[in-house]
Amino acid sequence: MILGAARGVYYVATMLLFGGSAFETLLRAKLPVITPLRWQSLRWAVLILALLAALAWLGLAARQMADRLDGQILARTATDTLFGQIFLLRLVSLLGLTLLMTFRRCRKLAVALAALALALPAATSHAAQASPAGFIAIGATLDGVHLLACGFWIGGLAVLAMLFRRKEPNIHLALSLFSDGAIVAVMLLVMTGLINAASILLGHGTPAPLYLGVLGTKLALVAVMLGLAAINRFRLMPRAYDSMIPRNAALELGLGLTVVMLAGALGHLQPVL
Amino acid sequence: MKKFVLLLLLTSSPAFAHAKLVGYDPAANASVKSPTMIKLKFSESLEPAFSTASLSDSAGKILPVPKSVGGATITLLPIGLKPGAYHVNWQAVGHDTHKLSGSFVFKVIP
Ligand SMILES: [Cu+2]
Repeated sequence: MILGAARGVYYVATMLLFGGSAFETLLRAKLPVITPLRWQSLRWAVLILALLAALAWLGLAARQMADRLDGQILARTATDTLFGQIFLLRLVSLLGLTLLMTFRRCRKLAVALAALALALPAATSHAAQASPAGFIAIGATLDGVHLLACGFWIGGLAVLAMLFRRKEPNIHLALSLFSDGAIVAVMLLVMTGLINAASILLGHGTPAPLYLGVLGTKLALVAVMLGLAAINRFRLMPRAYDSMIPRNAALELGLGLTVVMLAGALGHLQPVL
Repeated sequence: MKKFVLLLLLTSSPAFAHAKLVGYDPAANASVKSPTMIKLKFSESLEPAFSTASLSDSAGKILPVPKSVGGATITLLPIGLKPGAYHVNWQAVGHDTHKLSGSFVFKVIP
């Protein structure tokens, strides 16, 4: 359970880092009329959270595999398992990001490093493991795309929330730029999610009730998020009911963070009996 | 494309999300002549650093037996097992870091 929480927090943090910087870079390029956000301290907090969650995930996974935890087991996990080697790559990405943020350099590279940190765990996910022999790379890629698409959606919403808070006068421009990207991200998210769920659950035996329960809750929350997004995009935005949009977007973000935490737990539950 | 992927997933060989034991030789409760190889096959590739199996006799004494973990298989190479009941205990960790364990019994006959 605590392992699921560490994984969930890691996803939340790297999604905010990736999606937030990706949408911010898009804003700078496409809408120079909007003054760039100042969220350096929040970004540092999220980066530190990602590093701590990555370390906790490593330690908890090592303890799960060996039934105990000491320096030797931790080292063996980091160097001798695929999960550990992927962990080291994620650590390098996050440390690279730390350097870029310290020297305030190269935003696009920072987006790429955050994307790596977010998507790499897909290589040891159930979506990868449940793929038939020879197709593990496809399962891992689909799960990676799933994570990145979700990251863009959630990170973008967080940037919008910051723009609402400072009462950005050109918020409607940012909203329509976001919704163009978010529609593509949500389509990818739903498509890859369905394929992953099918590959994990179908044809391997009876689905486990707990797994189905958590998955069902996650899907129900995503459905509410999609409903809120659709109301904002297709009803409120054309009519400029501005006061409702921030409230709905904040609700959507809150639900999104809950969904990601559920996804963290789901990754450690046994899908089929 | 989507239909194709689904079809591919549904028609290909079974896999599970955790590393499950899907086949073993000798079979559980089988009576065999002293085997020189015990093979455990799992549903997915294992992490050799944390996957293992052991052989013990009816008194519960663990016997020193050479073993190897490769791909989705754990192999034990016993020599000259005397007639009697033997337990195989296994622990399998897949790339997802999840651990499953179990055991089975077989009998050696003269
Ligand atoms: Cu698993």
